[in-house]
Amino acid sequence: MRVLWNELKKILTWKMLFLLVLLNSVLYFFLIEFDIEHFPNGRPALDSYNIGIEMIEKYGTHMDEEEFLDFKQAYDEQVKEADQYLQSRREFVEAGLVTYEKFKHFDRDNEELNALHSKVMFEEKEVNTFWELQERERLIEFYDMKDELRGYDNAQQKQRMEELIASKKYGVYPEVVIMNFRDFIGNVTIAILFSVVLVISPMILKDRSRQMLALQYTSKKGRNLFKTKILAGLISTFSVITALLIVYFGVYSLNDTSMYFDVPINTFIGNASWYDPTFFQYILLCVAAIYLIGFVFGLLAMSFSSFVPNSMALIGIQIPFIVGMIIVIGGPLMRYIISIWNPQWLAPTVYSGMIVISVIFIILLWRREKNRDIVL
Amino acid sequence: MILVKDISKQYGDFTALENINLEFTNGLYGLLAPNGAGKTTLIKMLATLIAPSKGEILYNGKNIVAMDEDYRSLLGYLPQQFGFYKNYTPKQYLLYLAALKGIGKKEALDKIDDLLEKVALREVTNKKMKKFSGGMIQRVGIAQSLLNDPKILILDEPTAGLDPKERARFRHLLTELARERLVIVSTHIVSDVETIANEIIMIKNRQLLYKDSVERICATLDGHVYETTIPYEQLETYRRQFVLLSEKQERGSMVIRFIHKGEAEANWLPLAPQLEDVFLYEYRDDIGEEV
Amino acid sequence: MAMRIVWHECQKAFKSPILIGLLLLFTAFNVFVIVDNSYFKEELKIANQLVEKYGRKITDESLLQFEKDLQDDLTALKEITGQEYQSVYDFLETLTFEDQNRYSEQEWRFIEQLQLKEMYFSMANDIDASYAKIDIQKVAEGTIAQSRLSGNAEKTLLREYEKFSQRFEEMKQNGEHKEWFFAGKAYFMHSFLFKTVFLHIVIESLMLIILSTALITNYEFENRTQLVTYGTTRGRRLMKDKLGASVAMAALLTTFILVATLSTYFIVYDYSNVWGTSINSAFNWEYNFPNIAWWNLSIGQFLSGTIAIVFITMLLYSGLTFTLTTFVKNSYIAAILMATFFVLALLIPGFMPTSSNLLFITSYSLSLLVLNTASSFMGSSGLIMFKNFEWMTTVCWTMITFVLCIFSLKWFHKKDIQ
Repeated sequence: MRVLWNELKKILTWKMLFLLVLLNSVLYFFLIEFDIEHFPNGRPALDSYNIGIEMIEKYGTHMDEEEFLDFKQAYDEQVKEADQYLQSRREFVEAGLVTYEKFKHFDRDNEELNALHSKVMFEEKEVNTFWELQERERLIEFYDMKDELRGYDNAQQKQRMEELIASKKYGVYPEVVIMNFRDFIGNVTIAILFSVVLVISPMILKDRSRQMLALQYTSKKGRNLFKTKILAGLISTFSVITALLIVYFGVYSLNDTSMYFDVPINTFIGNASWYDPTFFQYILLCVAAIYLIGFVFGLLAMSFSSFVPNSMALIGIQIPFIVGMIIVIGGPLMRYIISIWNPQWLAPTVYSGMIVISVIFIILLWRREKNRDIVL
Repeated sequence: MILVKDISKQYGDFTALENINLEFTNGLYGLLAPNGAGKTTLIKMLATLIAPSKGEILYNGKNIVAMDEDYRSLLGYLPQQFGFYKNYTPKQYLLYLAALKGIGKKEALDKIDDLLEKVALREVTNKKMKKFSGGMIQRVGIAQSLLNDPKILILDEPTAGLDPKERARFRHLLTELARERLVIVSTHIVSDVETIANEIIMIKNRQLLYKDSVERICATLDGHVYETTIPYEQLETYRRQFVLLSEKQERGSMVIRFIHKGEAEANWLPLAPQLEDVFLYEYRDDIGEEV
Repeated sequence: MAMRIVWHECQKAFKSPILIGLLLLFTAFNVFVIVDNSYFKEELKIANQLVEKYGRKITDESLLQFEKDLQDDLTALKEITGQEYQSVYDFLETLTFEDQNRYSEQEWRFIEQLQLKEMYFSMANDIDASYAKIDIQKVAEGTIAQSRLSGNAEKTLLREYEKFSQRFEEMKQNGEHKEWFFAGKAYFMHSFLFKTVFLHIVIESLMLIILSTALITNYEFENRTQLVTYGTTRGRRLMKDKLGASVAMAALLTTFILVATLSTYFIVYDYSNVWGTSINSAFNWEYNFPNIAWWNLSIGQFLSGTIAIVFITMLLYSGLTFTLTTFVKNSYIAAILMATFFVLALLIPGFMPTSSNLLFITSYSLSLLVLNTASSFMGSSGLIMFKNFEWMTTVCWTMITFVLCIFSLKWFHKKDIQ
């Protein structure tokens, strides 16, 4: 235990923690801040977000035909409201835009009307009605198309879509929240990936280049210390990931999306997936995937650390792996982890493959360490 | 008891040691050889850092590699070069190594106090090691090798960087330690071990040359070591003819000490051979090469 | 003597297999990116042909000639299809799926060529109308509103836009925009070369340079040879050689990547007749606003300028990494910090008050300079549109780097070596 504690202290030094904070502050402002600061991002995203909450509060996480009729009725009422509003304003009456219908289909070539339209849409921020109507129309449209297959590339996708329709899992809830979460989690994963590699990489190389091995390997603990170092590395990986997740999800809570947590992933617009977790379960899935990526890259970092000659080689050799990972984080391994637009087997296979390879790698290195001559 | 059986070590084409057989019991062994003779290789094999290409090393009949931590918990080892953490104090550093050696923290704290006293580093117990001189680092190294009260103590060039006073204290410490353990000291400085070693081991051309007491090794040159005074002009002739061990000037002439295995001349003064003489004689080729 | 030492120091980087491996991997990746995007490279020949046939400048006469030639082509089309069309697009619109097989491959090639020529022709005809619509004042207001500028910052930017407005008129007068180039809205060649390809070059060179500089600078301490090397006759002046070697390696690495990548690029894409075309060509208009430089630069000059910027910047980054590594003494931390600072420099303007000129001053950073090569020398690049942006940034940072390097060398001279 004390040996482990000592190794941990060698990894998580104050210097390293300071560097970790610095790196994450920079990455936060570079990658993550946008998805927090600008959520919902303008209009009609804001209205989409609000109407979504209204839908969940009124109808729960699943909308049946009757509830949809209620939704439509709410729309009709709001149209009436809009009509009244337009009629109450002189400039609109003068321009002939007395009903919402006319307002919607105004002549875009007419500069005067254009200015009037922009004024109410963009300048008078307190008028929500028109943005909301626009969003409601979009949602109604999606509901009306709920039974249609919306394009597919292969038989599996088609089958899955039919399955979803058959089980009435229609994509009708506004997708702003899930899209925002995807961007957020992808960037968080990149920040965590960098952090893990930063913290874990130097540990084994350091003892080697400081010629500590002769002393360490002749103590009672002997070469088993290598295993303790790996364990310490994994614990540090876990701590770094957990701490960063707490911080980043703390920040994420500012987006105030908990109302959506119980909505099944498949019922968000354009979000057909191979599995059907709720939004909250989906978040947990992503978190699990982050831990996996973290552990795999922690193990890889330790592996490289056990044989590269110097710290520049240590960084250099990891660049291709990190770049490759960032590319797939943006795609099938994180942001679209269970989306039907990637083959169902892809993510599980790649994750298992990565785990197997990194574990085999470290086992091979342990075997090598057990028998190798400590010459220098 | 350690038994070195038929050990060879090869690095690719290069042979570092060949067919070494040795037996160690309690007491102090001096491993004496010039640099590059394979001393450190032998020592590292005894410390399980390097595996022999051929042969094995046994402790009480058991292979030391197979004994694993049972062997290492008996072992204290001071490498020729060893690492330390610049920002650690000797106390932190020793506590870390004590943990690796499986010593409980309380026990370790007492032991560390005791050892730092022994190597005269008491005052700097809590000073960072980056400010330390080479001699101080070396003494921390000696202290760490004694942490686990080892039955087998292996020291590779332990006196490097120590001043004469420290050296004397260290010799004293070694004699005390060797009373109840096996101590192997590797060195190329004859005076370090000459007076205190029970046995001297010499390696030459990758093979074992001697393993014997100082007296008996010296006896191999009995009657062959002489001293004489010659004029400076004859020095070259003598150098060519005999193995010169030392030369010094005295009142315009040269006093030389040398080895000759044949008939002695009248003005030669026979002397008792010293370990240093054997060393210089045996490794004379190396000396020649060095010049 | 000093040269030999510098050479020895360079070898320390050369001998790192990972550095060489990365260099080759990066180069291969760039070649892949360029070739992967080349499905339209045949179509680019049209622009070259137009220059050959009608000259680089688009004049009323040459357009007239072009129109005549198009009429001839339409007559030829009539012969192929047996029907008369006003435009090849009319033909394509009425084309049914079954009809497609009626024409031979050669005929199809002719039709496609004609289609491209018509596209270029109509774009050339639209130039005056499109440029007449551009109101620099409006652009300035848009930029200010978007970035929420006020106070001094607003004033500064407005003043610069006023200058730019003059330049815009001058450019129109010169007819710099009326020269043939690849259709920007169709192929985005400017963005592809100066944004995508150069971004790869810059990021890759930067990574290699940070690694090699940190490696060389800290080599003795990592290999525990510092006592020997800094105790020689050369002594601590060795650090000067290390700086020289780092910069030389930076030059070498950047040159290798630049040459390998750009020669691939120009082998794949045919620029033979458009080197002289102005970068301000209306055909180089890709997004909302055309590319308009402060000077009348040809494509070749613009490319040379961009290469010079990248090259100088990379050398400066080597010097900065050298300074940082000298102070930090740990090459791992130095490399990480250097990468962090690179990104930080991009963020700093965002933290500045939008009413203050600090916003612009902090934008004069190497990171922004080298990541925006597509809009170097341009007045159409938003908050970094300033005419002096490129040379001011380069000169200022060269001075800063010089001072830092000299300071770090002086500091190292007095430093204890343990």
